[in-house]
Amino acid sequence: MNKMSVRWVIALKEEAKVILDYYEMALINKKTLYPIFKNIEETHWLILSGIGRHNSAAATSYLYTISNASKWTSWINIGIAGSGKGDYGNIYLVDKIFNQNSFITYPATMPKSNLPKMSLLTTDIPITNYSSKELIDMEGSAFFDIASKLTSKEFICIMKIISDGPENNIKQLTKLRIIELLKLNLTKIAQVVSYYENLSENENQIKERPEIFFKISSNWHFSVTQSSQLENLLRRLKVFCDNKEIMDLIKQCKSSSSVINSLNNKIKTNKVNWSDI
Amino acid sequence: MIETIYIEKKIKNHPRTKSIQKKFKKSRFIEIDKYAEIFNKRNQNFRIQKANPNLILAHKNDGFVLRTPEGFGIGSSKNFYFSHMYNCIYDCRYCFLQGMFSSANYVIFVNFEDFDASIKNVIDQNINSKITFFSGYDCDSLALENVTGFAKHILPIFQQYPEVEIEFRTKSIQREPFMSIEPMENVIMAYSLIPDLMSSSLDNKVPSISKRIQVISDLALRGWKIGLRFDPLIHGKDWKFLYEDLLEKVYNSIPLEAIHSVSLGPLRFPKKMFKDIFNLYPHEPLFTSPLYSNDGIISYDTNIEEEMSVFCKNLTLKYLDNSQIFRCY
Ligand code: SF4
Repeated sequence: MNKMSVRWVIALKEEAKVILDYYEMALINKKTLYPIFKNIEETHWLILSGIGRHNSAAATSYLYTISNASKWTSWINIGIAGSGKGDYGNIYLVDKIFNQNSFITYPATMPKSNLPKMSLLTTDIPITNYSSKELIDMEGSAFFDIASKLTSKEFICIMKIISDGPENNIKQLTKLRIIELLKLNLTKIAQVVSYYENLSENENQIKERPEIFFKISSNWHFSVTQSSQLENLLRRLKVFCDNKEIMDLIKQCKSSSSVINSLNNKIKTNKVNWSDI
Repeated sequence: MIETIYIEKKIKNHPRTKSIQKKFKKSRFIEIDKYAEIFNKRNQNFRIQKANPNLILAHKNDGFVLRTPEGFGIGSSKNFYFSHMYNCIYDCRYCFLQGMFSSANYVIFVNFEDFDASIKNVIDQNINSKITFFSGYDCDSLALENVTGFAKHILPIFQQYPEVEIEFRTKSIQREPFMSIEPMENVIMAYSLIPDLMSSSLDNKVPSISKRIQVISDLALRGWKIGLRFDPLIHGKDWKFLYEDLLEKVYNSIPLEAIHSVSLGPLRFPKKMFKDIFNLYPHEPLFTSPLYSNDGIISYDTNIEEEMSVFCKNLTLKYLDNSQIFRCY
């Protein structure tokens, strides 16, 4: 399994173009409900959801299933947004999301970055009365709602680039201009995404089952409860024993319970050497 | 630097909210309805949040003063605690808060006056009992004092009730407001300590043991009563040598007449809490110790607990009276 994983949910192909190029993702060779792209290493996957909350929610859960995302996959939604407050062409991290159905949520810890933050209103119909709204889009709240069921909130990020507002009529927004806006902010996007790549990779290192678990499980038969005991014991033992030491401990064992006992006995006699830490 | 401060609408104009906001000029302020909509949400990762926690300013509605769990205390017949804050700026690996809360964000309750009223009420209702209050059970009582000013606020209440004890338990090296005011007989400045070598691995972001001992000594010389909390007692290679070194250092640095009490507490976690903490830090050396599950509690073997307590108690008896030593459970 790949160590790091990032999933992108983007509404329009013009918004995705620069990302697809930068992360070298190509359309997957399979019939899918939505266009899906991935890189060769399969660390980055991207789905084109189309516009609107329903599309965004459906595409997020569809990508989760198709791409075999884990609990520590990072989820990113990026796109253009209207704004009555921010600066045209600038990119913002979203730290509060609400919609017209009184859904309000707050993304958790964010990357330490110089990017400014704003709140996002997700609407079902395009809004041109921008007054007092920080950011306005048509997908963010649905994306966040579904993604937060798939992973913990720290792994979810929404970034928006201001494309229209009181001074910049949405009617003048062209496909080319959207691509350009994304391109202008690519360095900043990549910086934020590298935080989420690291987050996912670190979590994978912390949470993945020790390799030796699979080796031991293939040699003895463990019940579900024993499997979880084995996994916990191995995590603890791995802190102060190498794989060879662990295998030597259990090589004479005739049954799964004697494996667990032997590993338990090793822990029972351990005295943490605080000067080594 | 705290990047974001969430503020409950109800207290957005509270003078304490305003004064805290002034201390974080560069932060982004976001209005919220209730702190629970951020703090209590499931699907949060305490460990990741701990790297960059935000602050929530909130109004506490109830449960201002509560009874402490059984086995927690320093000799009074009734023990109570209150927490003006949830979570802590430090990051001790054995801390139960990381298994208790799903969020590592700090919550400060700004309605201190409601704590005052509840404390007075509890005192009035227990007029014939010896009672002790513990400040900051769900946080470190003094670590964020320069932001909250809670200790400074609450001390005058205890000036009115000299027969009622209050303990501020901390790992901080906060000196104020204590160095600037007259010492009070019923206030115990209690410091949690583990041996230096263990502390450098387990007490993340916490002032060093030597700095803590320096502050204890300064406060003792100023006339404040000191509580020493060897809690939790941590096992490992050379533990006897490490504890002997710590205890000797402490007892030889502090005027003994200033010591109010010493307590010895084992390392214990409720089973579910341990599971959550272990899941956050599965590679933590502390959890490679011989820990057992007994009656829903994860702890060292009783023999280890007993041996450690007896060892530390005997060392302490060289300096203090038996009546000053307490074992917590
Ligand atoms: S100082 Fe106390 S409250 Fe703070 S992290 Fe350490 S154990 Fe927890």
